[in-house]
Amino acid sequence: MSYRRAPILFVIALLIAAACSQPPPASATGSPTPQPTAGGAASTLVYYADVSDLISLDPAVAYEFSGILVVHNAYDTVVKFEGADLANIKAGLATSWDTKDAGATWDITFKLKSGVKFASGNPLTADDVVYSLQRVIKLNKSPAFLFTDIAGIKADAIKATDASTVVVSLPKTASAQGFLSILTFTVGGIVDSKEVKTHETAGDFGSGWLLDHSAGSGPYGVDHWTKNSEVLLKANANYGGTKPALSGVLVKHVPESTNQQFALEKGDADVARNLSPQQIAALQGKTGIATTSGNSLLLVYLGMNATVKPLNDVNVREALRTAIDYDGIIKDLLKGNAKKVQGIVPIGLSGANESAPFQADVTKAKALLAQAGQTAVTLDFLVPTGQAPGGVAFSDLAAKLQSDWAKIGVTVNIKQTTTADLLTTYRAQKGQLVMIYWGPDFPDPDANVGPFTDYAAKSIAFRNGWDDKTIAAKGRDAALITDAAKRTTAYKDITEYVLHNGPYAVLYQPTELFGLRSNVKGFAWNPMGWLDFASITK
Amino acid sequence: MRFLGFLLRRIVGIAAVMIGVSVITFAISHVIPADPAVAALGDHATDEQIAAFRSEYRLDRPLVEQYVTYAEGILHGDLGRSIRTRRAVIDDLVDSFPATLELSFTALLVSMLVGVPAGVWSAIYRGRPPDFVVRLLALAGGSIPVFWLGLIVIGLGYYQLGWFPGGGRIDAFVAPPPPRTGLYVIDSILAGDLNALRSSLLHLVLPALTLGYFSTAVITRMTRSSMLEVLGQDYMRTARAKGLRERVIVLRHALRNALIPTVTIIGLTFGSLLSGAVLTETIFSWPGLGRYATASAVSLDFPAVLGVTLLAAIVYPLANLVVDLAYYWLDPRIQRG
Amino acid sequence: MAFRPTRVRARAPILGEPLNVLAIAVIVVFAACAVFAPLIAPFDPLVQTLGSRLAPPSPEHWLGTDQLGRDILSRLVYGARISLVIGVVVVALAGIFGTFIGLVAGYAGGLVDEGLMRLTEVFLAFPPLILAMAIAGALGPSLQNAIIAIAAVTWAVYARLARGQILALRRREYVEAARSIGASPMRIIARHLLPNAIAPLLVQASFDMGAAIIAAAGLSFIGFGAQPPTPEWGVMISEGRNFISTEPWLSLFPGLAILFAVGAFNLLGDGLRDVLDPRLRRAG
Repeated sequence: MSYRRAPILFVIALLIAAACSQPPPASATGSPTPQPTAGGAASTLVYYADVSDLISLDPAVAYEFSGILVVHNAYDTVVKFEGADLANIKAGLATSWDTKDAGATWDITFKLKSGVKFASGNPLTADDVVYSLQRVIKLNKSPAFLFTDIAGIKADAIKATDASTVVVSLPKTASAQGFLSILTFTVGGIVDSKEVKTHETAGDFGSGWLLDHSAGSGPYGVDHWTKNSEVLLKANANYGGTKPALSGVLVKHVPESTNQQFALEKGDADVARNLSPQQIAALQGKTGIATTSGNSLLLVYLGMNATVKPLNDVNVREALRTAIDYDGIIKDLLKGNAKKVQGIVPIGLSGANESAPFQADVTKAKALLAQAGQTAVTLDFLVPTGQAPGGVAFSDLAAKLQSDWAKIGVTVNIKQTTTADLLTTYRAQKGQLVMIYWGPDFPDPDANVGPFTDYAAKSIAFRNGWDDKTIAAKGRDAALITDAAKRTTAYKDITEYVLHNGPYAVLYQPTELFGLRSNVKGFAWNPMGWLDFASITK
Repeated sequence: MRFLGFLLRRIVGIAAVMIGVSVITFAISHVIPADPAVAALGDHATDEQIAAFRSEYRLDRPLVEQYVTYAEGILHGDLGRSIRTRRAVIDDLVDSFPATLELSFTALLVSMLVGVPAGVWSAIYRGRPPDFVVRLLALAGGSIPVFWLGLIVIGLGYYQLGWFPGGGRIDAFVAPPPPRTGLYVIDSILAGDLNALRSSLLHLVLPALTLGYFSTAVITRMTRSSMLEVLGQDYMRTARAKGLRERVIVLRHALRNALIPTVTIIGLTFGSLLSGAVLTETIFSWPGLGRYATASAVSLDFPAVLGVTLLAAIVYPLANLVVDLAYYWLDPRIQRG
Repeated sequence: MAFRPTRVRARAPILGEPLNVLAIAVIVVFAACAVFAPLIAPFDPLVQTLGSRLAPPSPEHWLGTDQLGRDILSRLVYGARISLVIGVVVVALAGIFGTFIGLVAGYAGGLVDEGLMRLTEVFLAFPPLILAMAIAGALGPSLQNAIIAIAAVTWAVYARLARGQILALRRREYVEAARSIGASPMRIIARHLLPNAIAPLLVQASFDMGAAIIAAAGLSFIGFGAQPPTPEWGVMISEGRNFISTEPWLSLFPGLAILFAVGAFNLLGDGLRDVLDPRLRRAG
């Protein structure tokens, strides 16, 4: 009799439970109520990507690709690169800068542009620059090492000498050119100190508020960030430069590349960021769709532990390098979606050595092994799970290498583990052969050469047990050279040496692929991982 | 009084289960060979940064101490900080739970609205074509991988036919309703926002159908078998012998009694819906607990994994408790046991 | 009450129902694929023929080729081997362990029973996939770890079933009789209780074979289980998902394979239930 009520009661109970699961008010979680986008679909760029790595929109904290993408468009830096260029430093918020030898330090003096306003309307002053750069060091989050370790500066090295001049004093051991490159990066984003100071709590320099708000002078400002869902950028009304064509940019979190492709084809997405080369190939020729590519600065490489026999013999390492079918990998596995780069500096940075002498030569490789007195070598091969940059599975790459090396009598046992697991082993110098990739932290050749050559830096050279003091010293010297031509020559020497003597086999430099609606124009991907949304139209 | 004793015992039971769940999940998350600090900070982190991170998240303390700190935190509503998002886990959970609740709830609703009539229909026409069709569909529902079904559904429903949107909870250019319950459909109704209501309903269709297929199959089979059992019983024969119309008999006696086992398993199906939600949310870009759990497991974010597991593990016993409370209130006979 | 024979005649009645025959036939087909894979599969499942990638079904490749030019039919056949092994190992691990725990709990009673049942309650409270993900994520993504993870979420049901059976049966006369003549607990369990208790366990095992296959495929799909290039059905669906719009057969066929295999196990489970224990019978 009364049992009919049971299901209805249960439904009601669930409804009550749901109603009671009211989320705490917005201020507690920090995520504001989402607003509709201004202007709607026609004037908003809809950018579908996997932004699961997004942690914070604070320029002093953001260090992941997704954070960099958004922060770059909300904040200006004192100096910048334009478009996809990474060689010529241009004026940003600073109209001029000059480097002086001040005895114990390099003093870089920046003269700031006048009349610049932040999104709030507050004018830009030297104090804002000092505040912004100092808080990076004080907060000491992921990108802080670029200031404290690479540039070697402390907070007091940054001073405002008047309302529109800032002086930064670098120790002589740091590279002035390198520091300028660092400043173009999001870590150098200048925040509106007046605005941020009103949101400071418990000495966090406003980091809690800046997590999902922006206070910059860039062409866009952050409207809202709905965690795990989307970030909306709205055009900055007080922007001093050319106003962006699109009044909004919606970055939607869509991790499934299948969904990205569907949405792109149906027109729900304007840009699809994470398509595989196969999907890009499938999209060719479809009406309304275009594809484009961008350079990346990643290098997919193999690390050989030089403390493990027989990898300690340079002939063995050279033999392994010589046996690899690089062309086959790039053509067949990557569908041409990569550059053939074998040096440790990627193309796009000055100092890149385009010489790529290795291509599968079984005879030569066998001869090298014989020279080393080795006939049958067995090694453990540590490989990450998942997709490698460029759109091929790591396991496919590993299988190919395994078969290439089998031809010269080298047997490798492939062990696939998560990247985190691999890194733990690698960092502890416990790998034998390790496949992994590397991207420079700032757009300067030293960002790669340092880690790859300097054992003392406890980075890549350390992980592979390669303690070559001569080349480490050469690398450190090259970083400090101010004359561009001399620097390039120095790096050519270094990369040539590492090519044949180092414990590395660089496989390729992947290309980034994007799917676009064909009406999207002005898309220029910068290899450091950002995009100037302001130059895009649709 | 006895009711209170019953309730108390159940709540204590749930608490004991939660403790067990937390201990086991905690143990699992600390068996990992990899270093979660390395997972979070990546290849470029210096040793100092890694050490600082480990210290900040107390990864360098002995296991038991870590657990005790964690357990104490739970009592204060603090589930630790996610290593991946750097936010409080409780905030992440609060953000993502309503989405999963809405999806699971809708799927369950669909399962009941489709499954019960289907089961009844199939039982009445037992041995005849409708029965075979229903049984075949139910068999398929229990055997189909939900992620594969999702791919097919989204491929057809969104890509080929364009009838439904391809992911997310609401249109990109429609503002979500002001959050009262976190369930967009209910909040839209409460706010009187027809645009948001339409958009959120449309977005619910494909994922709810995908997620709900399995539970529809389960409910169909359950309803069918209990209907058959009831239809074959003595009092049914008596009722039929008395000459009442067949339809009246079915509706009033059989259905009522057949629903009991069905309602019983609703708690169980709700738990299985959470599992299915993991894969469904991935395919439909649904910003819920399942997608959060996947992202957390991939990045070795064990505070988050712990949080999700605790939350998910409480749902099943809670749902059962609600059902039992409903029975308890309705049937005095149960109060004795 | 009459003495009931402990042996249950299962074979003849089960073949009487045509659906059961169908289920068994399908399972036999998959098992044959698994055992005789090298003989049945026309191609090597791992060999890439980069010249004929993404080829639709044709006389040469009955089910087409995938993005690396591998024959899909061959991969499905080898996949059957993997999936059946997964099912068998999971059910064996979970079933044996769970049944043992349940038997101990049911026979010992008291605090042991209480404690063990709390333990099963804890494991049953986990949503299966989430616990499996946590375990597989912690141990590392691989097929072995996926099997361990799935077994970990499956055993608790067997414990409860076994215990329930023991509780029901332990007061039976023949058990009293055996005890009165001094038979040891192990002997009683093995010779009298287990054969009668086993019916619902077998039914559960059949359903769990299917559930394990689906769970493993799900874990592979999100990257926690078998890894490429292993021709596991979930991996194949995952690899094929980028091609759904243009070459749907990459994901379609492995999904159908799962559907048929699991469907057969589910049908078999239904049939077993009807035959082995009339008390559990749900539908005629």
